[in-house]
Amino acid sequence: MAEYRTHMKIIGDILLTTRDDLRDEDGATVTYLIRKANISHSRISRILKTLVSQGLLEQIDSQGSNKYRISQTGREFLQAYNTFTNFADNFGLNI
Amino acid sequence: MEFLLENILNLLGFLVGLAIGVMSIIGFRNTGSPTLFRLSIAFLSISLGFFVIWMGYTIEDFVIKSGNIERWVQTLGIAIQTIGYFFIAFSHSIKSFFPKSSYFRSVGILPLFLVSSVQLEHIFRSVSFILLVYGAIETMLSYFENKNKGAISVGVGLGLLALGEFLGWYSFVFPESILYTASMTIKIGGLVALFIPVSKVPLTKIKFDDDFE
Repeated sequence: MAEYRTHMKIIGDILLTTRDDLRDEDGATVTYLIRKANISHSRISRILKTLVSQGLLEQIDSQGSNKYRISQTGREFLQAYNTFTNFADNFGLNI
Repeated sequence: MEFLLENILNLLGFLVGLAIGVMSIIGFRNTGSPTLFRLSIAFLSISLGFFVIWMGYTIEDFVIKSGNIERWVQTLGIAIQTIGYFFIAFSHSIKSFFPKSSYFRSVGILPLFLVSSVQLEHIFRSVSFILLVYGAIETMLSYFENKNKGAISVGVGLGLLALGEFLGWYSFVFPESILYTASMTIKIGGLVALFIPVSKVPLTKIKFDDDFE
């Protein structure tokens, strides 16, 4: 059975992918993020738009295609996210 | 002895609830997670409930000096704590606990207006017991899923609080027995167990961000 993921978990997965999976500073394509986060194009587009507007991701134009890389704010958010995921885990909850 | 234990329990409950509540608020402000928001309400309510009872005992001891805490103060404190326990249980998706029918929902709270404050205290204690047992079971079940050792401590903590609540309620039947003292000792143990994993959260590395929503 597929594991249920909260909206927060999906955001965490996207940020984690942009931080850990990429070897250079080029950023991740939408297709790559869709595959790694395992969600639809329309949904990830809305989430990416929000994350960019919040300053957690930076949108870069690379050879005519949009790519996304994690910002410093995004790294700090991810650190807080990991800490409070463990905190909520203690109560048997998902953030 | 009972007075001392009562003061330790209520002060500890106030401090533990406040600490976990503040951590949850910091988490909510940094991540925007609704789960952490519910935990904030839960533990700040629990903290406030213990604080009300502690203040009741302190005022009675230093100002009123009647020998007994005002019954309505105790009932108010327990009611506020029950709200906190409800939010812990609610965080574990307790929606199915409530009747679907709007008629049953509307008459469900009617008994609360038909009973005295002593009976109200019994009702709140029994509701707290059910909510705490539910929270303890759900937390222990989560341990079997993700093997997080902190969940054992929180589960045991909630379980001990439930047992303490049950013994506290049962001590009304045997008022002069050791039950009430045992109830408070067990509850103190529960609060300590609840705080152990939370005290290990490395909050010092978290940058508190006022601007992030």
